[in-house]
Amino acid sequence: MTFFQALLIGLFAYLGSKRTPWFFGVTGGWNMIGRPLVAGLIVGLVLGDVRNGVIAGAMVQALFIGQITPGGAMPADVNWAAYVGIPLALAAGGTGEQAVALSVPLSMLGLGLFNFIMTINAYFPHMGDKAAAKGDGRGIHRATYLAAVPSFILRAGSAMLLCYLGTPVAEMLINNMPAGMLHFFEVAGKMLPAIGFAMLLKQSLSKQWMLVLFLLGWVMIGATSMSVTALAIFATAVAIIFVMAQGSAPATVPAPQSTEEEDDCYEE
Amino acid sequence: MKNKNQMEGSLLTRKDIDKAAWSYIFFAQATQNFERMMGLAFCHVMEPVLKKLYGEGTEEYQKALERHMQFYNTEPQLGALIPGITIAMEEARAKGENVSEELIVNTKNALMGPFAGIGDSMLIGTYSPILLSIAMGLCIQDGNPLGPVLFGVVWLVTIVALQWFLFHKGYDMGIGAANMFFTNKTLVEKITTGLTMMGLIVIGGVAATTVKAGIVYKYVNGDMTLSLQEQIFDKIMPGILPLLLTLAVWYLMDKKKWSATKIVLGIVVFAAVMVFLGIM
Repeated sequence: MTFFQALLIGLFAYLGSKRTPWFFGVTGGWNMIGRPLVAGLIVGLVLGDVRNGVIAGAMVQALFIGQITPGGAMPADVNWAAYVGIPLALAAGGTGEQAVALSVPLSMLGLGLFNFIMTINAYFPHMGDKAAAKGDGRGIHRATYLAAVPSFILRAGSAMLLCYLGTPVAEMLINNMPAGMLHFFEVAGKMLPAIGFAMLLKQSLSKQWMLVLFLLGWVMIGATSMSVTALAIFATAVAIIFVMAQGSAPATVPAPQSTEEEDDCYEE
Repeated sequence: MKNKNQMEGSLLTRKDIDKAAWSYIFFAQATQNFERMMGLAFCHVMEPVLKKLYGEGTEEYQKALERHMQFYNTEPQLGALIPGITIAMEEARAKGENVSEELIVNTKNALMGPFAGIGDSMLIGTYSPILLSIAMGLCIQDGNPLGPVLFGVVWLVTIVALQWFLFHKGYDMGIGAANMFFTNKTLVEKITTGLTMMGLIVIGGVAATTVKAGIVYKYVNGDMTLSLQEQIFDKIMPGILPLLLTLAVWYLMDKKKWSATKIVLGIVVFAAVMVFLGIM
């Protein structure tokens, strides 16, 4: 990997990290450029291997699909997985499996960096406090813009250095990795998405019986050849039917209780 | 308290609101940190509006800056409604209506929790995984760049439009939106229940396509080979092991309060042991 390529990847790593205002904020940055799927295409373009880049991106994406960050608590750092794991695997001549093998440990190491930035960035609200106490609006803006600096240096810098200096190491690792090791990362990588979904379940289950809905969705896809789009339409229909049935009950208050009890029976 | 629409002569122009909406879309998450989360950025978005409403150098302006520096955290994209409502409340206060500082702060604090929950599970947990899994289906085999492009374009256009709409809706409805949220509990409950139900079914489906766990161990006894995966688990239900794994992880996180990091390490160690023993 040339220095210029590493620099470009570092810049995109920053653009896809969590605190970038540049491209439609968190929507275009973290939630779009930052997704491994999109990173795969960008890295593929930079390194001149779009096909393998996209495949690696899609395979690494599967690790982190559905991962939410409630209160900034992250289970793994997607940024390093996407912008260090994928480029290193491609530069070392690997594809999807190798990208997954590198992304799993990198996403865990990257968590340290994520938490470090989240911690040192607590300095800037204090700068803002001082400005607010003086009624200095420009000071608020200054603190907001300055908050981007550590994020930029650490995110772009770390990804760039790891990509540039890490290529020989990655080559050595990938070429000498025993088959068992690669298999281990594959097995672990396929189980890791369970965490994202478990966090979603933890957050979404307002009532215990709702777990059956998750099971329903699982079985619909797992046991039939239904596509996710078809399932989404089916799910919308189920939700509307449920809400309508609740609404048509004469009194508003007893209705939810009765349905709740009914559905409890299905759970047992 | 009157609805904003019934009031004549608003102090802010449509252009001010548009500017604030763009500022919010770009900066909402830009200063995230463990202490205040989105607090500083919120103040950054509000500042031009506050300057226009109260005037630079006034005590009101200075106090307004301070109250928007406080801790604030929600899912920024669906939460775009909240700064809209806040601006409407600040405007009402500047016009001399009976809107106390506490009411403004309390409204923000009361709304941020529910919006974080619904936003995380609907946008990040359901909508994004649906788009991602469609896009991944297009490209995981042959590396077709259409997959990531499709995801990026659809996500960006719909979510930016959604934020733009919610921000303006929040401002237009003003305190009415907050009141609706607090008084019309049954409607809010219905919407949340419906969205949660839809989300859970889809999440279940997406999980089934991504979480994988299989046993490679074969029991050999003389001429007889018994593949545990094919002859036992697949007969019960294809994908039963990943389903049990997901439920176990959920149980540990939700009921046993394990942290995500602990679970990640747990899975890695579990995988290492299983691979070492030749089971998986």
